[in-house]
Amino acid sequence: MWTWFYRLASPPFVYRVAARLTPWLLLFAAAMIVYGLIAGLVFAPPDYQQGDAFRIIYVHAPSAWLSLFAYMTMAVAGGIALIWRIKMGYAVAAAAAPIGASFTILALVTGSLWGKPMWGTYWAWDPRLTSELILLFLYFGVMSLRAAFEDAGRGDRAAALLALVGVVNVPIIHFSVQWWNSLHQGATVAKFAKPDMPGSMLWPLLAMLCGFMLFFGAVLCMRLRGEVLNRERLASWVRGAVKA
Amino acid sequence: MGSRGGEGVTSGGFWAMGGYARYVWPCFALAISILAWNLWSARRYHEQALLRAERALIMAGSERA
Amino acid sequence: MSVGTWEALSLILRRELLLSFRRPDQLLQPLVFFLIVTTLFPLSLSPQLALLREMAPGVLWVAALLASLLSLDGLFRSDADDGTLEQLALSGQALSAIVIAKTVAHWLVTGAALVVMSPLVATALGMPVAAFAPMMLSLALGTLTLSWLGAIGAGLTVGLRRGNVLLSLIVLPLAMPLLIFGANATDRAIAGASPAGALYFLGALCVFTSTLAPLAATAALRISLE
Repeated sequence: MWTWFYRLASPPFVYRVAARLTPWLLLFAAAMIVYGLIAGLVFAPPDYQQGDAFRIIYVHAPSAWLSLFAYMTMAVAGGIALIWRIKMGYAVAAAAAPIGASFTILALVTGSLWGKPMWGTYWAWDPRLTSELILLFLYFGVMSLRAAFEDAGRGDRAAALLALVGVVNVPIIHFSVQWWNSLHQGATVAKFAKPDMPGSMLWPLLAMLCGFMLFFGAVLCMRLRGEVLNRERLASWVRGAVKA
Repeated sequence: MGSRGGEGVTSGGFWAMGGYARYVWPCFALAISILAWNLWSARRYHEQALLRAERALIMAGSERA
Repeated sequence: MSVGTWEALSLILRRELLLSFRRPDQLLQPLVFFLIVTTLFPLSLSPQLALLREMAPGVLWVAALLASLLSLDGLFRSDADDGTLEQLALSGQALSAIVIAKTVAHWLVTGAALVVMSPLVATALGMPVAAFAPMMLSLALGTLTLSWLGAIGAGLTVGLRRGNVLLSLIVLPLAMPLLIFGANATDRAIAGASPAGALYFLGALCVFTSTLAPLAATAALRISLE
């Protein structure tokens, strides 16, 4: 069992396995997403309160979830790399960051668009949206920090440390923003209440969630191969991989 | 209100999304765009990394020569 | 002659304070900045005290945050530039002692000074005197926490040429909970309600950060010095 773990630290192994996983992950992701879209857009009944606008949940909730999941991946991978000196961790962390940031932006925009019919305004400093916004700032901080270093190894380590500091802060930020918002809750600000979900509404949501996660895995693998190559450019195994 | 399973995509009501069309459809369009961007960006990143690796190998080879 | 860790800490603390007081202009800069930023708000919004009073906690806190951030870049940089930092790191003393001493010195010179100046600014913004004590306490706790967060950021960016803006970019999101609780404590104090809840949260944040940040800041500095 430990041999399998050690192999994860080996760049050529990671490079090969990522290549093999990608098409399968994409296939299952596509299946889930297609099902989720069709079931959610066509077959799910409109919500009692929100009408058809609730359907935005089918992209908003998965992207918000993914934005957090990607950050955790980035922090954990970076942490493993820092503590156990496993270089592949830095590659995973670097690969996860732009993906997570893009989903954070998606969550923010879809949340904002959902807000307009629900609250009458595109932006309402709702605790979830505000936390997402701060998460986006955290992403930019990590990505900017890594890019600022000329020495890539140092940049990796600095970014990993920052991601760890950030991940400790995410619950603190979330809590304090909710606390702040509850104090200033003015008129009826409907939160992103999950409508009472009968099965026909819930299954597409679960499918979209699954599909997005699988998609994240696939894109992570794709980016990871690029990250591995960039870090291992002069290693001997790269010669064979490049010719292929 | 029942499910709209019977009417499906062809009915105009589907595209209107109960009046919320201009919020719902941009969301889904943006989602598809972000998914597509991720695929494109990851692929391009890998290709650029391959190019750089090839170049590094060529230079390392020529140094030895 | 071997120096104990506490001795080293107090020696470096004294050194930092001495160096700071030798450059009084640099000492004053954050404070003047604090004043200037506070002035910007009445100028851009309204001179009416009633209005300013409502905004006072927020304005005060944002100004204090920005003023503290300004001086954070210099936390390690001047020593890094002339090689002193490397010497300190190689000295055999625990690097964390050095980090703690420098951060505490930074807070004494910046944050604590801001706290002392805050009643002046608060009066200018129409804050009632009764709210001063909670406001100053919240600022004291908040600026200390910020110095710790800033130490982490400074440690990460000390080797970078243009680390200043990046430092702010890194530290500000982490400082947002501080802002929320600090401004709220002041707000409640002005309204006559008890600021205790917010102050407790602020205190908890301060303790939490003071415990963990030295580790993170030391690790950050090590990464930059490698």
